[in-house]
Amino acid sequence: MEFVGSILIQIGIFTILATSFNLIIGYGGLMSIAHPIFFALGAYGSGLLTQATGVPVFAGIAFGMALATVASVALALPSLRVSGDYLVIASIGFQLGLLQIIKNSEWSGGPGGLSNIPPLLHAVGPAAIWSYVAIVGFAAIASILIVRWLVSGDYGRAITAMRDDEEAFKGLGHDAVRLKLVLFGIGSGLAGLAGGLYGHYFLFVTPEQFEILYSAAMLTMVVVGGIRTVWGPALGAVLLQFLPQAINFLKLPSSVTGPLQGILFTGLVLLFLFLRPHGLLGRAPGARAVVQEDDPTEASVK
Amino acid sequence: MSEVLRTQALCKRFGGVVVANRIDLTLNGGQIVGLIGPNGAGKTSLFNLISGAIPADSGSVMLNGAAIGNLPMHSRARLGISRSWQHNRLFPSLTVLDNLLLAERRRGELRDVAATRERAMAQLEKVRMTHAAHRLPPELSYGKQKLISLARVLMNDGNCLLLDEPMAGVEGPAYDSIRAVVRNEAAAGRAVCVVEHNISFIKDLCDLAVFMFAGRIIQTGPIDEMMRSPELTELYFGA
Repeated sequence: MEFVGSILIQIGIFTILATSFNLIIGYGGLMSIAHPIFFALGAYGSGLLTQATGVPVFAGIAFGMALATVASVALALPSLRVSGDYLVIASIGFQLGLLQIIKNSEWSGGPGGLSNIPPLLHAVGPAAIWSYVAIVGFAAIASILIVRWLVSGDYGRAITAMRDDEEAFKGLGHDAVRLKLVLFGIGSGLAGLAGGLYGHYFLFVTPEQFEILYSAAMLTMVVVGGIRTVWGPALGAVLLQFLPQAINFLKLPSSVTGPLQGILFTGLVLLFLFLRPHGLLGRAPGARAVVQEDDPTEASVK
Repeated sequence: MSEVLRTQALCKRFGGVVVANRIDLTLNGGQIVGLIGPNGAGKTSLFNLISGAIPADSGSVMLNGAAIGNLPMHSRARLGISRSWQHNRLFPSLTVLDNLLLAERRRGELRDVAATRERAMAQLEKVRMTHAAHRLPPELSYGKQKLISLARVLMNDGNCLLLDEPMAGVEGPAYDSIRAVVRNEAAAGRAVCVVEHNISFIKDLCDLAVFMFAGRIIQTGPIDEMMRSPELTELYFGA
């Protein structure tokens, strides 16, 4: 049962990551691949602070979130002021450069990783694991609700308009750069939260866990679940975390299990790209009930 | 008539192409100015420079006596410069009503949601498009989108309206609606500048015409006078 609990914790953490990535690339239309590094900043920031100062772990996680938020704004501000296109280039440099610093620094544990991260819960055994499942589950639901709140109402309307036509949006008196910064900052802060929860559960993190390839995994979760849907990324995280793990229950030889997981992962992506590009919970473009109302100008306006 | 907007020696070039060459333009409250000229004359570029969509190389833009040349586009819109676009540029994922609600200048606590919706519906009523409030723009014809685009401009409630080809793709009663709306806005004291190829619309509506060619203002005066000038007619029609 501990194995199941561990999978659920990973699903919760990846739900936060995919949901926050969806806020940035889906709702915000911001092309960034630096999400894993904000995940890392949360894990390392919280781990190092709690190790060095002995502050409560919740305070450490909050610090990791703040660190990821500040770093994301520092990354996005100069590039967004020039053009949104520069963000993707800046994000590649930021992701690769910062990860190299982490890999080559003594304070971060270098390539060997950071160990002895203080646990969030000091108890051991199944009760502790299920408590952690509850905490991560709460954080995942809270992340989803935050995103839902952001993309609804006036704010959501503004986000949609900005994504549709940024220049026309600015022409109506809206500050597009500020809105993008808010979305990027909140999305990255949530990635920092996921990092903190990850580090204080596994108590050990290495730079390899935050490689640039993880942004592809997060993107896959978003695409499979449904980009620009509130619950889609959570569903994507469940499928892409749980299904490959389920293969383990088949008790196949390890030489088969690894490749099979990879095939399943790639196969799902290909399947969705061809059969359902809007994802499981997304609505196909143009799928909207047409409102029929009296139209006195129909005959006169072409 | 009080001065609302003034540009002085406004210049802009893209490489070797000069789109604005020392443009001096004044728009007064209550006045409708028609900006005419052949394609590529720099009319839309002038709108882009005034609204802040593109930065000027040199020169100044004053709105209600204050310099706004260094302000970003959204700040200029908040100060009351409201523009439409040649190709409407309504947000396709949002309903017509939502398109209008976004143009409300008041933000946050200052905004009364119910009153804003009411005002948006009132703008749609002006162009007789209330029935389309809950439709998406792509579900509507180009002409109807033009009407909604005009209603969105009015939602800003600023005192400087820049209308880029409001009549393109519009005919019949909608033509009369747009003409009436533009007249009413000017009568309310707003400065209105219209880029339009429909000369009869300009004749019918504008107090003053400004002829542009190759990024320069060639002549300012009554439209009839301009159309009688063989030189301007040749520049406009190329014959």
